Amino acid sequence: MEINKTRFIRKPLDWDKVKVPKGIVHIIEERCKGCGFCIEYCPKNVLEFSDKFNSKGYHPPYAKHEENCVNCGLCELICPDFAIWSEAEE
Amino acid sequence: MARIGVYVCHCGGNISEVIDVKEVAAFAGEKSDVVIAKDETHMCSDVGQQLILNDIKEHKLDKVVIAACSPQFQGATFMRTVESAGLSPYVMEMANIREQCSWPHFDFPKDATEKAKDLTDMAIAKARLDESLKKKMMPIGKRVLIVGGGIAGIQAALDLGDAGFKVYLVEKDPSIGGHMTQLSRTFPTEDCAACILSPKMADVPVNPNIELLTYSEVKNIEGFLGNYEVRIEKKPTYVDPAKCTCCDDCVDVCPAKVPNEYEEGLTTRKAIYLPNPIAVPHSYVIDVESCLGQVPLACTKCFDVCEPGAINYDQYAEEINITVDTIIMATGFEIFDATQKAVYGFGKYENVITAMDMERLIVHGAEGSPLRATGNRIAFIQCVGSRDEQVGNENCSRICCMYATKLSQLLKRSDPKRDIYVFYTDLRAYGKGFEEYYKRAQGDGVKFIRGRVAEVIENSKTKKLTLKVEDTLTRNIIESEFDLVVLSVGLRPNGGTDKVANMLRISKSPDGFLQEAHPKFKPVDTLTDGVFLAGTVQGPKDIPDTVAQASAASSRAIRLMNQGEFALDPIMAFVHEDLCDGCKLCVEHCPTDAITVSSGIASVNEALCKGCGSCLAACPKDALDLHVYTNDQVLAEIKSVLKSKKKEQSRFLVFADDMTAYRLSDNVGIAKMSYSIDSRIIRIPSCSRITPKLMLEALKAGADGILLGESEEKSSPFPDAISTINSNISKVKQILRKNEIEEERIRFVQFVTVMLGGFVNNMNGLGDYLKKVRPISDKKRKKLGIRN
Repeated sequence: MEINKTRFIRKPLDWDKVKVPKGIVHIIEERCKGCGFCIEYCPKNVLEFSDKFNSKGYHPPYAKHEENCVNCGLCELICPDFAIWSEAEE
Repeated sequence: MARIGVYVCHCGGNISEVIDVKEVAAFAGEKSDVVIAKDETHMCSDVGQQLILNDIKEHKLDKVVIAACSPQFQGATFMRTVESAGLSPYVMEMANIREQCSWPHFDFPKDATEKAKDLTDMAIAKARLDESLKKKMMPIGKRVLIVGGGIAGIQAALDLGDAGFKVYLVEKDPSIGGHMTQLSRTFPTEDCAACILSPKMADVPVNPNIELLTYSEVKNIEGFLGNYEVRIEKKPTYVDPAKCTCCDDCVDVCPAKVPNEYEEGLTTRKAIYLPNPIAVPHSYVIDVESCLGQVPLACTKCFDVCEPGAINYDQYAEEINITVDTIIMATGFEIFDATQKAVYGFGKYENVITAMDMERLIVHGAEGSPLRATGNRIAFIQCVGSRDEQVGNENCSRICCMYATKLSQLLKRSDPKRDIYVFYTDLRAYGKGFEEYYKRAQGDGVKFIRGRVAEVIENSKTKKLTLKVEDTLTRNIIESEFDLVVLSVGLRPNGGTDKVANMLRISKSPDGFLQEAHPKFKPVDTLTDGVFLAGTVQGPKDIPDTVAQASAASSRAIRLMNQGEFALDPIMAFVHEDLCDGCKLCVEHCPTDAITVSSGIASVNEALCKGCGSCLAACPKDALDLHVYTNDQVLAEIKSVLKSKKKEQSRFLVFADDMTAYRLSDNVGIAKMSYSIDSRIIRIPSCSRITPKLMLEALKAGADGILLGESEEKSSPFPDAISTINSNISKVKQILRKNEIEEERIRFVQFVTVMLGGFVNNMNGLGDYLKKVRPISDKKRKKLGIRN
């Protein structure tokens, strides 16, 4: 919740009722070269490097806070290796 | 030989209760060239003015000295008086014995009387040398800037636009309307606020004379009456209002949500939103702070769904430069932040809300979509953030008693089962129809209890709230449980006002709101020519008072602009041709390029000269001088004001620039704040006019210290004043060093008109310092001199 950025300290009464789009993150880990662009630029801070290695020896990202994903599609746009995209949750 | 008449005013006791005015008049009568010296209860009254007119005729006076209030207040009146007697308005001098004497030094009547004599003597000395000058006439156009698009700004804009004046209405939010758009109904008539406001709002953009600049902020203002240069930044909304059909499709897909300001954070809005249901301009806006990001484009969902293609991410902030003749400040108020009053638990307890929250709840309730339950037992707590020294706001916010009366009635009437209590300090129903409205609330069954609530405690299980309060009429301690507590929060000055006020050199009153020029007779004017106040920027007030003030401000602005020209004091540099040797040093120092040298003699272009006096210090031959404040006059003032100084007494001169330091000294006097009585204030257009030579002359004549008070660089009318002053001071300090005199005796302070305390501290600081270091010895004084 980003309420603290504003002058209001209370949670709006309808906060949980107001819907925002939700996305599901797909990652092709083998294509990733660990550049970290998606992590850096995700406006909702959904992604983070995972601990595991792919076969090229890089840490691919994983959706740590997938509940925050709003399916904006920036990761897909910014990934140099077509390794990540999001899909609207049905 | 001059023939001077001196008049000492009692100011109906304001002066005479502290100062022995008869003694001052007798003292003045002894002075050479003074033909007649009198004291009178009210010099500014018709009787007083007639007295001057008769004496001018009877005694053939050619100079007039009035020892009364500050020239800022009645200077113009007395100038008109002598003008109507056929004299030049510039042969009248005022000795400021109210703001600079009887008010700040009310504790020391004897010393204040002595100081009043000094100030009167100083005015006589200046008057003796007054030239018979004419006013300088300047052209003025018909362009007005209005800062703030609330009800005050809207009313002023419509009045001026309808009268044929060009209006620029600047509003920082994306829609005009201000706080009134949030209200449910207005007291005491219970009109629907939005219904009476929206037609007015809609009139603004269709008025051909009004240029509406929403989502815009004033970044800079320079200049003066008739020529204010304003820089405005218009923020991008990323939506084209001409194409936006307000279909709401973008809102559905927008992934960013934040609390809705219009609903006081009770509901949520998206990053793309309609500011309020009656917004003007009626268009969606992207709030770039909460949008997922535009550079790089992170989302574009709104763009994708917008059928009319109204969304344009390629908008950028726009800089708009305009020139206007007058300015109306209508920047309004902020609601008191109730979290500052922690004992009432706002922000901590979910059932403690503010009155503005209640306005929104009532609006939604009336529309059939209640936001939340209110419960049956509701308490209003009055004076939250008003009349409360604990939070630093001593003023009454004026509207809370009545809006609580209104809200309680609306609640009671919509459900008579409700038990509604209003806990008040004093109930102030001062306006037209207010007392009747209050009676009606009582009749409806709202219970008004006199007592200040000490504490609100929440039952953590039931979330009900217990109030502790003493009923001060029956002396009973009440401890009672409520479902909902409404805090009647007060009005505070809008935080954004300060920046613009500083640019315009307007001062604040102790309550933080902007100061009007005169509390009774110039309630919408400011001491800055051509700048007016409308609405709550001047102090808390209700809607009709705000509208009345807005119309008053526009009529005051029209009064100035409709004439086509206005008079300016002829404070301009001139050249003593017999002394000029054509060296051109002044040409380099003139910030406005007003001086040219032809056939070996300098001459001043009067249209360009601003009268800063920078050239005076530059001239090695003393050939340059300043009308209204000539070298001889300032020197005569210095000498006369120091004449009464006794050995072992320390005394310092304050050269106060007219724009800021002198006004500040007046404001300090009005606030009855006292400061060192060793000070003698001399009014000058700018301290850059005080040449090193004058400073040394002052020290030679007996001054033990000098304080130069000037406007801050960014609000100064004279671009190079600060550097000129610094260079003048360093020259003097060099000479002091050589003569083993303490350099700290000369001080330079840049003031802003709001720093009353700062003025007092600086005056006392120098006064105390001089007491410590003792007066300068006569031996050292004699040696002071300057070689050019």
